[in-house]
Amino acid sequence: MSEAYFPVGPGLGLEENFLSLDDILMSQEKLPGRAESSLPRLACALGQGAGTGDSVPEGSKLEIPLWLAKGLHDSKRRIISVELPKIYKEAWRTVFSADANVVDLHKMGPYYYGFGSQLLNFDNPENPEIAQTILQATSVLPVSNSAYLLQTFISRFRRIMDSSQNAYNEDTSALVARLDELERALFRAGQKGLNDFQCWEKGQASQITASSLVQNYGKRKFTDIDG
Amino acid sequence: MEPAEAEFLAEKELVTIVPNFSLDRIHLIGGDLGPFNPGLPVEVPVWLAINLKQRQKCRLIPPEWMDVEKLEEIRDQERKEDTFTPMPSPYYMELTKLLLNYASDNIPKADEIRTLVKDTWDTRIAKLRLSADSFVRQQEAHAKLDNLTLMEINTTGTFLTQALDHMYKLRTNLQPGESARSQDF
Repeated sequence: MSEAYFPVGPGLGLEENFLSLDDILMSQEKLPGRAESSLPRLACALGQGAGTGDSVPEGSKLEIPLWLAKGLHDSKRRIISVELPKIYKEAWRTVFSADANVVDLHKMGPYYYGFGSQLLNFDNPENPEIAQTILQATSVLPVSNSAYLLQTFISRFRRIMDSSQNAYNEDTSALVARLDELERALFRAGQKGLNDFQCWEKGQASQITASSLVQNYGKRKFTDIDG
Repeated sequence: MEPAEAEFLAEKELVTIVPNFSLDRIHLIGGDLGPFNPGLPVEVPVWLAINLKQRQKCRLIPPEWMDVEKLEEIRDQERKEDTFTPMPSPYYMELTKLLLNYASDNIPKADEIRTLVKDTWDTRIAKLRLSADSFVRQQEAHAKLDNLTLMEINTTGTFLTQALDHMYKLRTNLQPGESARSQDF
């Protein structure tokens, strides 16, 4: 109730939220892929050639953003095929299952969880395992790929909770440097809870302050109105 | 809910004061407040007590749990147990802050009391975090925590519910049953 503006959050499932700014930025991330058929006159647009009339030969490797990949992906008309970026592959999955806390998720693509969830859109035999990686805890060896997303999230949860609730009035840039965007939003929520409590305890909660919406209006002097 | 709102709810609790003025029974919407006679203790809600104190019309008597030995006992009990122990008042944090800010001259050993209450608070918050972490790690569906107060729930609530939301969405990704609908032109 005290917030001036509620942003639309990212959709974490197979479908993104249309109005979410986080999702729009996330879908700009690039995927490695291959052109399955020759793409006439698109070499320039895809960053492959210099001439405007060049076509992309069949089988050449491309880096395409997610929104383009989702639009062109169709199992019947083979235009492009996509493969998983390397951070979602087997090698990195073992790193995550060993210890997810040490990985710098911001460097791996600032939208690790969102992007990973979107990748499940493309039919890929390793999909269930990826989701589990992103989610699951360490107790049982994950059997599927989509489980890894869950696993990573859970292992990193403790670290985010502790650091967000204990750093009051300190420079938190070192703490958030290794978190991806989803985790940063969680971190900010934790910090806000802590800050609100401390602010209340100091007695600042009952002081009247200007709303953030009007602070930027600036004060107009009388001379401006008259002149 | 914000800390200020929790404090507002806490101000309904009753506390004993000794007024230095006299007034007949007053009838308020929430109930009657008994006749005020100078020197005789009477029970009033905290909001009225603070107001009278600020106008120097009364002297506050600390609640019987706001005492150094009692609080030390409570703190040690909290440290021993793994679960949450019942607190003397469901608004102990807010009452401590209000009474110690406005009426510290009426409360003996105010600083020690503040420290003790803060220690107890820290212990309980640490337990809450531990419990939240094990809840998430084992992906339980349901948890029950007794004897938590509103202020503690507020401080960690937003973070926990958001994290659980994300976990839920990530978990529904595990079901590959519903195929993504695509538009075919």
